Amino acid sequence: MKLKTNWPKFINWYIINPKLTGLIVFIFLGIIFSLLASKQYVSNIEFKRLEKINTLETIHQNIEQSLKNSYITALTLALTINDEGTPENFEEIGQKLLKSNSAISAVQLVPQGIIKYTYPLKGNEAAMNLNIFKANHTKIDALKSMKYDRMYFSGPLNLKQGGKAIIGRLPVYIKQKFWGFSAVIIKFDKFLDASGVNSIGKNKYEFQLAKRNTTTGKTEFFLKQTTQLTNLNFVKKSVTDGNWDIYIIDKNANSLLISYITNTMLGLILALVFGILTVLLLKKSTQLQVLVNKQALSLKDNEIKFKTIFDQASVGIANVELKSGKLIEVNNYFCKMLGYTEKEMKLKTFQSITHPDDLIEDVRNAKNLNEGKIDEYSMEKRYFSKQGRIVWGNLSVTPLLNQNKKQISVIGIVENITIKKENEELIVKNENHFKSLFYDSPIPLREEDFSEVKKALIKLKLINRDPEEVKQFLHSNPKITNELHLLIKSINVNKACLELYKVKNEDELSNVKKHLFNSKSFDDFVDQIVAICQEETSLILDTVIQDSNNHNRNINLRWNVIRGYEKTLERVIVYNEDITERKDADKIIRNSQEKIQSLIDTVDGIVWECNPETFAFTFVSKKVEEILGYSAQEWLSSPTFWSDHIYAEDKESIIDFCQFKTAKREDHDFEYRMIAKDNTVVWLRDIVTVVSENDKIIKLRGIMIDITKTKEVEKHLKSSFDLVSEQNKRLLNFSYIVSHNLRSHTSNISSLTDLIQCSETTEEKDELIDLLKLVSNALNDTLYNLNEVVNIQTNLNLVVEKLKLKPYLDNTLTILRNEIRTNNIIINSNITEKTEIHYNPAYLESILYNMISNAVRYCDKNRQCEVDILYSCEDGKRYLSISDNGIGIDLKRNGDKIFGMYKTFTDNVDSKGIGLFITKNQIEAMGGTITIESTLGKGTTFKIQLT
Amino acid sequence: MSQKKIWVVDDDQIYKTIIKKIIDKSAIFDATTTFSNGKEAINALKVAISNKEILPDIVLLDIEMPVMDGWGFMEEIALIKDSIPQRLIIYISSSSIAIEDKLKAKNNPNIVGYMSKPITIDDLKLIADFD
Repeated sequence: MKLKTNWPKFINWYIINPKLTGLIVFIFLGIIFSLLASKQYVSNIEFKRLEKINTLETIHQNIEQSLKNSYITALTLALTINDEGTPENFEEIGQKLLKSNSAISAVQLVPQGIIKYTYPLKGNEAAMNLNIFKANHTKIDALKSMKYDRMYFSGPLNLKQGGKAIIGRLPVYIKQKFWGFSAVIIKFDKFLDASGVNSIGKNKYEFQLAKRNTTTGKTEFFLKQTTQLTNLNFVKKSVTDGNWDIYIIDKNANSLLISYITNTMLGLILALVFGILTVLLLKKSTQLQVLVNKQALSLKDNEIKFKTIFDQASVGIANVELKSGKLIEVNNYFCKMLGYTEKEMKLKTFQSITHPDDLIEDVRNAKNLNEGKIDEYSMEKRYFSKQGRIVWGNLSVTPLLNQNKKQISVIGIVENITIKKENEELIVKNENHFKSLFYDSPIPLREEDFSEVKKALIKLKLINRDPEEVKQFLHSNPKITNELHLLIKSINVNKACLELYKVKNEDELSNVKKHLFNSKSFDDFVDQIVAICQEETSLILDTVIQDSNNHNRNINLRWNVIRGYEKTLERVIVYNEDITERKDADKIIRNSQEKIQSLIDTVDGIVWECNPETFAFTFVSKKVEEILGYSAQEWLSSPTFWSDHIYAEDKESIIDFCQFKTAKREDHDFEYRMIAKDNTVVWLRDIVTVVSENDKIIKLRGIMIDITKTKEVEKHLKSSFDLVSEQNKRLLNFSYIVSHNLRSHTSNISSLTDLIQCSETTEEKDELIDLLKLVSNALNDTLYNLNEVVNIQTNLNLVVEKLKLKPYLDNTLTILRNEIRTNNIIINSNITEKTEIHYNPAYLESILYNMISNAVRYCDKNRQCEVDILYSCEDGKRYLSISDNGIGIDLKRNGDKIFGMYKTFTDNVDSKGIGLFITKNQIEAMGGTITIESTLGKGTTFKIQLT
Repeated sequence: MSQKKIWVVDDDQIYKTIIKKIIDKSAIFDATTTFSNGKEAINALKVAISNKEILPDIVLLDIEMPVMDGWGFMEEIALIKDSIPQRLIIYISSSSIAIEDKLKAKNNPNIVGYMSKPITIDDLKLIADFD
């Protein structure tokens, strides 16, 4: 059992690890193939080595043979030498020798190292008489052959007579005494031919002849060689007679290695192919195995899943025995849904928990299913919970078949749709509510379908186009526009809407609405289409409709797409509020506004409104332009325009007054000046009403009336009045003068006459009569003075002449010279000969005299007295001022009396109180004025305005 | 009947002569002093107060006078009133018939009465008796 399980496991391991298995196969085969290749390589190398050695041996033997022949030739030649050391028949024998040995090109005899005999001589003349012991290249070899006492071959070397040759020299001794050499010259190419070098495979091998140079120790190679020598690619052998080494060099030494490598590679590739094939093969089976495992797992998973679904599903699932209706299996949700425990549920039948109203249908369906009439069924039905509540469920029933397709029970899946049902009920309720709202709404409402319109617009490619383009298109294609209008489908209309159109039902309405009856409604429809093209979902416009009686009604149209239909426009609510009455009312209001406006504009005053706190004007009537020159726009452009343009003197008091009155909520009426645009001063009367609303001042309203003319008249009146008052005052003054001055005399006279009447003695009477005389004189004086004053005041035709001021002044000073001198008074004056004035000469004389004599009279004796007489012009008016540093007058006490008649302010006996009175009257009669400034103890200045 | 002192303040020389005679004739006053203006009179009054002399019983005061007129004199009186040991009976005697002057006199508590010139003996008797 254990083995049984282990074995497949083992196999499994291979199967599961196909890559490893493949690797193992690859390594195994690789090693085998490599070994085979190595073996072949080694045997090939051996074979080649043997071949080379054999070739070399053959060549060696040939060379040896050839040298031996040369030795025989040399020996034969040496035998021509007789005992005396002279060769005999050299030419003849030389010829024979050359003939017998084709390799030899020449023979020589070299007695004592000097080449004496050569056959054939022709072509070898250059070598004649050459001492070989002396020539460098021959010396060593010659000595070598003497040393070893045998024939020694030198070369190959370049002959003097041309070509390459090997020279063999045999030392010759006659009677144990060195005679010289017998030499053979072998042509090198012939030598090579004889050695059979040329017959070796030229493709495979190369031959080389080398000699170690005894002097340099270097190896000299004599043949052209193409293949480089390496350690392994050659075999060599020595030829002792020439001290040569001969080489057989393998031209293609690497070919074996290449073939070896190629073989090995092929082997490895083959192993790799096998390895991969193994992997592929094993993998397939692994995949299959994995698939099996997976499916087994998923089967198991499914089982768990199913179990989980069954237990955890948020739908009720029950396995029901159809015949009895018994619940074989129920899931948690089902139990919970109905409030039973699983145990309790299993005791129930589906009939016992079904609402009686749904039971008949359920049972009928179950029966049909059982009889195979239907495959499955689903229905919405009511269950009773344990607590007796109704639970709505959506039941789906499918039969559960066994393997023989025979029905064993059914599976019922119940979805709890109680909330959905409740919601549906609510929706129905809401729908009804909405419907009643819709139908009974006092505002005319229509529900319309614009989907066809939208589709048409899409077809016309007008959606999201520039609004102006759309507008233009619709205007230039009225037929299309009308067609679009006809594409609107009515879904619902309410009662108010039918009333608005004065129709009985929807059909009549659609007839009435069929046509865009005038340009206004056409334009408005175009606007609506433009809005739809911009994918707007709401629109408000005022338009005109026509009811069934062809009466136009003004309506406020509100077009709103119902949420969720923004794309298709299938449902749109259209509000049509009848605003005809409102429009009419608006018109009335507008008319009355216009009327008020024209009234305001005709009123001869500026009607205005302003903010009660800031006095910023919010309205000002057109009249402002007429009265002040400013346009209403100009006025309203600045919040401080009004206050900015009040005449500077009036500004502060006027604003204070307005603020005060406004704060007290009192209407006010006041007068002030404003600066008009042309910089003239305009007098205004402003009548202001404080407008309150809810106990709060909201604005000031008023009217400004131009009273400049009135003011002028008033001013004129005032000056007349002033004149009259002045006259009156003078008259009164005169009457006082008369009453006082005359009365004092008359009372004295009266008293005196009384006293005279009752005087007892004559002396007394005389005394009283003297007094009476005095009084009568004084009365006479007074009357004279009064006459003078009356003359001045009544003289209307005064003569005015052009006068030089200086002579008059000088004259006055001359008259007063005694007083001036006595009081040591300094007179200062700026009056020159050129100073001229227009005046009455007598008055000027009188004025100058009175003024200067006054200044002199009231000088302060305690200091240096000075009198300044100055003439000046100010603002085009001429002034004469007389100043002194005298005793001064208390103006506070006497200011009002100073120019009165018989007013004296000092105890000066000369004071009569008539001078200043006369002076003033004279100055005023000339149209001038006189003013006084004085400080007690400091001095007095009189300033006379001459004209 | 006790002897009375009378002061006359007036700038009219002739009037002063006349009133003196009238006063003499009336024989009500045993001493008559005249001054030419208010200043002279007030100075004399101050001196009299400081010397504890007998002060006048009646003062006849003119209004229009140089240096210090009748009103100026009354202002001075008001200032020194508390230092005056007895009551001064001041009458305005003026030739003015201006209603303002009469009103002004009436409103001044220190002025007892207003007499228009000419002053007669009967007038003097009346004011003396009134006292």
